[in-house]
Amino acid sequence: MHSLFDWIETTAVARDVASSAVLTAWLSATHVLGFTLVIGSALVANLRALGALLQRSPLRDVIAPANRAILIGLTISVATGALLFSARAAEAAANGAFQLKMLLLVAAAAFQFTILRAVAARERLPARNRAVAAGAAGLSLWLGLAVTACAFILLE
Amino acid sequence: MTLPELLAWLQTTAVATTIQESQYGFPLVVGVHILGLGLSVGTLLWVDLRLIGVTRLGSRVSDVYRSLAPWFLFGFTMMLMSGAMLFTAYATAAYANTYFRIKMTTLVLAGANALLFHTVTQRAQAGWDDSPRPPIAARVAGFTSLALWAIVILMGRMMSYTVFSPP
Repeated sequence: MHSLFDWIETTAVARDVASSAVLTAWLSATHVLGFTLVIGSALVANLRALGALLQRSPLRDVIAPANRAILIGLTISVATGALLFSARAAEAAANGAFQLKMLLLVAAAAFQFTILRAVAARERLPARNRAVAAGAAGLSLWLGLAVTACAFILLE
Repeated sequence: MTLPELLAWLQTTAVATTIQESQYGFPLVVGVHILGLGLSVGTLLWVDLRLIGVTRLGSRVSDVYRSLAPWFLFGFTMMLMSGAMLFTAYATAAYANTYFRIKMTTLVLAGANALLFHTVTQRAQAGWDDSPRPPIAARVAGFTSLALWAIVILMGRMMSYTVFSPP
């Protein structure tokens, strides 16, 4: 696995990113743009499931557009994140905050696109316990992801 | 006191020196700033998307705004306070930074756009509040807000690369 990360760092794309501070900064800025779209949409979706906002809106009318926005935000974040990762793959892969961030990203996205979507498809107003529990779980996963993402950027 | 003297003095305040010197002060404040960004702009963009007509969210425009306002206002408070703290610690370098100046100018424009929407466009809101596709003035306000906040985010991150850790 280590040799795979070492090889990634030797690719032309990785070398281009590593050698250009301006490119790294623009990639990072675009990464944060995608992050904002993901976190904001996930907050709206899961807070609605909790019953903390948009209580008059049917759950599926909020979850469906939020999931589409999360997908767009994830595409932006993952594409730019992969390029940033390529420049220092071995170091990042060994970082505990990065490993936790990846784990939470997969868990939060899987939860959002399977369990929360299924709950939204069945839910009727007012919010029931099932939706509230799903919202609390989803919110915990996305907030955990946001905190570990900040920790990875700032404490490495 | 001249502006450069004021900026230099800001950097000597207790808040500034704590951020500059403590091990976790800087990452903690930047972390709050980024989380505040996700909460504020991340939820405000749904008001903008409702105004543009991209999504209806199953509600009237006024309901979407009223429901999301406490969240994005709390996020903006987090961002404003942490941003002010960061500025005191790096006031001179930040003030001279082009990305910071573009970010601040864009913030003012975003504020002006919101003010224009609340004072002019919203006057006739009762007529289009329930419409899935609000009138052109509302759609322009929503689109302008989205574009301006995207610039603020991009410039903020570019600034962090050039003020805090110069390439």
